Amino acid sequence: MFADVDWQDLAPSQTPSTAKATLPPGELPPEVAAALWRGNELGSSVTQVVSTGWVELDKELPGGGWPCHAITEVLQPQPSIAEWRLLMPALKAIVAANKMVVIVGPAKHPHLPGLRRMGLDERHLVWIQADTPAQRLWVTEQLVKSNACGALIAWLPQARQEQIRRLQICSQICDGPVFLCRPAAAQHEASAAPLRVELRLDLDWALRLHVLKRRGPVHEGALRLPSIPGGLESIITPRLAQPSVLISSRQERQAIPDVVGGTASRQPLPRRIAAH
Amino acid sequence: MLWVALLLDSPCRDASLRIEAASGLAAWALQFSPRVAITEPLSATPAVVMEVAASVRLFGGKRKLAERVRQESGDLGITQLAWSPTSLASVALARGGVSNGLAEPLEQLLDRLPIQTVSAVAAHQQTLARLGCQTLGQVRALPRGGLSRRFDAQLLAALDQAYGLRPEVHEWVTLPDTFCGRLELMNRVDLAPALLFAARRLLVQMSGWLAARQCGVSAFTLRWRHDSLWARAPGDGGELTIRTAQPTRDIEHLTRLLAEHLAKVNLGAPVGDIALEAVEVHHFEDQNLSLLPDANQTGESLALVLERIAARLGPERVLRPRVVEDHRGEWMCQWQTCEQALPGAQRRTLGRLVDIPQPTFMLPEPLRLATRGHRPLYQGELQLLAGPHRVEGGWWDRMEEEGQASTRNVMRDYWVALNEHSGLMWIFQTRLADDETAWFLHGHFA
Repeated sequence: MFADVDWQDLAPSQTPSTAKATLPPGELPPEVAAALWRGNELGSSVTQVVSTGWVELDKELPGGGWPCHAITEVLQPQPSIAEWRLLMPALKAIVAANKMVVIVGPAKHPHLPGLRRMGLDERHLVWIQADTPAQRLWVTEQLVKSNACGALIAWLPQARQEQIRRLQICSQICDGPVFLCRPAAAQHEASAAPLRVELRLDLDWALRLHVLKRRGPVHEGALRLPSIPGGLESIITPRLAQPSVLISSRQERQAIPDVVGGTASRQPLPRRIAAH
Repeated sequence: MLWVALLLDSPCRDASLRIEAASGLAAWALQFSPRVAITEPLSATPAVVMEVAASVRLFGGKRKLAERVRQESGDLGITQLAWSPTSLASVALARGGVSNGLAEPLEQLLDRLPIQTVSAVAAHQQTLARLGCQTLGQVRALPRGGLSRRFDAQLLAALDQAYGLRPEVHEWVTLPDTFCGRLELMNRVDLAPALLFAARRLLVQMSGWLAARQCGVSAFTLRWRHDSLWARAPGDGGELTIRTAQPTRDIEHLTRLLAEHLAKVNLGAPVGDIALEAVEVHHFEDQNLSLLPDANQTGESLALVLERIAARLGPERVLRPRVVEDHRGEWMCQWQTCEQALPGAQRRTLGRLVDIPQPTFMLPEPLRLATRGHRPLYQGELQLLAGPHRVEGGWWDRMEEEGQASTRNVMRDYWVALNEHSGLMWIFQTRLADDETAWFLHGHFA
């Protein structure tokens, strides 16, 4: 009570402007609010980013896109399943700026006709076939240090923590984004990469992305990013719009004989389905 | 006038080798100034002098120029250099162990030097010593008329030239048309990577020669000769030719490239001396220096990095794609090395594409899939989404394999398949030899 009285006495004499005095107690003047960083906001230390191509993903990443001058880890349960689908919208912008995309040691051979349909043409792609982990690391480090390529994607399944940290320090001079594709099991070990995302497939023409680590608050839940691989848009019929329904209905049909349990009816049924 | 004298370190006993070393050094010095001369080339201690007064501004001031000369000559094995207003004085100062001849008035500096430092005076050392002269100052203090009568005219002329009282005459070094530097190693080298230290010395010389000629090198050869005393030497020596994609005279890049190549060389016997020759020399313009800091100059160019990576991993591992007009998946996209791809890649129009969905990752070899009740399996049962797409033909594509001619004829029905674990796949069904069909996994829509 004493404090209240004290404040009311002081208020008119110290802040003569009436506009500030009318602010509700929880709110700050706009100039103060702009200079203040709150704990639940995303960090803004990232200076330069490349847009990911999805608005909802850009919103979740600090700076609004894949960071340049830093490493981004893409973790997947299996390699070479959905990397291009996730990264290609960003790579398109890099190719449009006439910069090179270099890939180091992918698990399978890249196939250019498919990549070209997604926007990466033959003049902007270099594939470095490095087999041993030491070679991959050396090549990645050389490319990162040289700051010569527009974007770098390296498959480093066996890289250790200190090697990732070394790459992260080198990548601070690299103007393009650097993506490291690693197995999902790596999420349990610490990493120096400022951004780590976990990528999973969604059966209905989409990707599920969970941001494991970012500058800012913890990301909860998963983002659903609609994505159709290049060239497949033309063949998607209304029936194929939701493949998960097809799969579940097939599984149901297959489950029928087990539920009925009749040995006589088991034989002819799968044959009829297989004929489709 | 601003003269620099460079004294050759550890002069060899053989006069021809000495002259060769001096001319190599002169070739390097020609990048700083066209006025380079070799003083007393036939004597036991030749020196290279150059006049750089006109080049000071080009190299960013006296301090920067002196720093650069000292650093690069250090790579060449020069330990003693001296700056002064006359060439003879700079040689004398270098021999006397003084490097800065501009700090004090020239007379005071020279007067303190012993008489051995100027060759024309040193020739009369014994007579002068009996006269009680130890330093140049004491010789100069003798009566001039007596000096000219007692000793030859060269002594007085040399003294006058050194003190700047009489003009000097030089025979300027001209640049050789080709570069071939030789170096005798100080000790025998057993391992190829250890050659790099000596080879770098020659690379610095070559870079100076290239800079003076406004050229860049696109191929150079490093030769080494085995030690002649080594009885079991497998041959006379060996050589290594290194090519670069673009002409360059960047010492760092050439050194790293040479290091990668030397790492793969096995020397049969210890190496006694090495030689470096510029094989292909092209006109090359260095980048203009800008007043404003340029954002693009932070790193090296991609071609240089790829060249270095190709040098270590092998050129067949750094690949660029080329689309071929073929309808069969395996031969639709060819990969070629950077050297093959780079020259024409910018001009060639892009190959046309077949108008069917194509995967983004291919398996090197189609993988045969297991089946369950006529359905293909790969990490679970596959759901076929779209197809079939028939790809057939290829009997015209002949190949030789183990002496048997066969064709790459295919007859496949491609399907787009889906699985929750392995995503979208490109699989095909084909007929095997014994009238049996089989499913194969061929690519991923990753």
